Amino acid sequence: MVLKKKQKPISLFILVIALAVLVYYAMISIWPFVYNIFLTFRKTDLIISNKFIGLRNYRFLIDDPIFYKALLHNGLYLGVLVAFGIGTSLIFAALIYKTKGIARKVYTAMFFTPVVTSMVAVSLVWRLLYFPKVGLFATIMSKLFSVNNEKLTFLQDPSIALICIIIMDTWKDTGIRTVILLAGMDEIPDFLYEAAKIEGASQLEQFFRITIPLLRPQLIFIAAIYSINALRVYVPVYMMTGTPPGGPAHSTQVLALQMYMEAFHGLRFGYGATISMVIFVILLGLVLLEIKAFQQKWEY
Amino acid sequence: MQELRRSGYYRGIRIISKCLLHLVLIVLGILMVFPFIWMILSSFKPSLEVISVDFHLIPKTWTLRNYQRVFDELNITRGYVNSIIVSTSITFFVLLTATASGFLFAKLRFKGRDVLFFIVLASVMVPPQIVLIPLYILINKLHWINTYQGLIFPFMINAFGVFLMRQFIVNIPNDLIEAARIDGASDFKIYSSVILPLVRSPIAVLGILIYLWSWDEFLWPLVVVNQNEMMTLPILLSHFFKAEGGYPGESMAATTLVIGPVLIVYVFFQRHFVRGLSMTGLKG
Repeated sequence: MVLKKKQKPISLFILVIALAVLVYYAMISIWPFVYNIFLTFRKTDLIISNKFIGLRNYRFLIDDPIFYKALLHNGLYLGVLVAFGIGTSLIFAALIYKTKGIARKVYTAMFFTPVVTSMVAVSLVWRLLYFPKVGLFATIMSKLFSVNNEKLTFLQDPSIALICIIIMDTWKDTGIRTVILLAGMDEIPDFLYEAAKIEGASQLEQFFRITIPLLRPQLIFIAAIYSINALRVYVPVYMMTGTPPGGPAHSTQVLALQMYMEAFHGLRFGYGATISMVIFVILLGLVLLEIKAFQQKWEY
Repeated sequence: MQELRRSGYYRGIRIISKCLLHLVLIVLGILMVFPFIWMILSSFKPSLEVISVDFHLIPKTWTLRNYQRVFDELNITRGYVNSIIVSTSITFFVLLTATASGFLFAKLRFKGRDVLFFIVLASVMVPPQIVLIPLYILINKLHWINTYQGLIFPFMINAFGVFLMRQFIVNIPNDLIEAARIDGASDFKIYSSVILPLVRSPIAVLGILIYLWSWDEFLWPLVVVNQNEMMTLPILLSHFFKAEGGYPGESMAATTLVIGPVLIVYVFFQRHFVRGLSMTGLKG
């Protein structure tokens, strides 16, 4: 005998929560997304002017030299943050891995401290550390390497300002990357290292032949998260560069900042929306790429 | 005899390399926290001493003037009140919505559930920049500029939170829920007396994370608030960036006041912070 399953009536709980989630996401995600596309075809300051201008925002974007600078800087930010970030965290994790007990907890806690603090606040602190000519970094560098401190202007030097910001950003999240890699290293079974030792592999060989290949999921994950972060970076550039932010001479301009400045300072909301579309499209491409990297099966 | 000497030799090398390892790690660890040490000590220095070629970490003259000026002129007390109201409300709503909809997506069946879950997950893909202008227009239409509602509304449901809670609730055995249902419990009763007590520890972790994230939120309050008395702490701090490195003493006092509470809480609940934040890594 087959019992037919009776369709249960929908309870009040389901109705209320499902409707709340649906209405909320319609308001803060679906509608804004669609409306943002609509805005890219308009010229509006949200007060007086508001008219349809077709593809002119996109045409303006293609000819905008600042947009290309911002795009390039985002690419640079991504490359350096991911490579430098993974490199340093790997070294730190490998060092902490060799310690045990209380010492290990203390080191982890120290490395993790910048992660929990606010980006706005640490940007201000680093901005003072980077203070041109007489700041702490300038003083230390001029004493250590006997460089003329008149030349050490860091954030005011267009050729290194962006790198200075990326170094700060790398420092801030080193702890979280180190913890993720450390957790990955703890999962690698000891017998692999024992076997390698018997075969006469050096420590360095073990690191490159065993540790790094087995950390692949963690490494891909970190690369994924930080490439997305680099694409959306905004706060440190806004806080650490002069007025207007993104300077000197647009040498630290990034897409998210350009979008904010165009929309909320230049009152060109249509053009701001257009730049945000570019961020979205690149992000979508990145995420699809990362999903592919995750799904790929690796054999050892 | 020779073997004995060799093992002593190796042990010597091992001890030296161990010391070297700890030395390197101590130096690196101090470098990692150095900016905070410098920040706190600088906040007690007169401004002229903060930035000077003649470097000394410990203040030559200790002063509380920086703090006094931050309280008098920046109205940081109001900033604290605003930040606490906003972060607490956001955390409350996120925990409520994440557990309720986590239960909904994990254990309850209804038509369109998968579509709805997909919408929630897809929202992670939409960067904040793309919804920024339309949301600003919406909040403007609702006359919520410069209000707490305006600051809180876009963060009431957190997709990561929903996903996290669903992951935990999925693992709760169905027998528990069925048993409660046979006793005549409604879905709401099951949620409040079966599910909630079982997810207490993920709630704590998610709570810390959301509190931290909303405490640091910058872009949205920057857009939606332009009156001084509605500003949250990060927005108040951003006033200093316009000063172009002026007021160094005051700005370090203000950052110490903003970071300080977080650092104190971190020292006591360090393990929860590390676990929670790296979970965004491992599970997100």
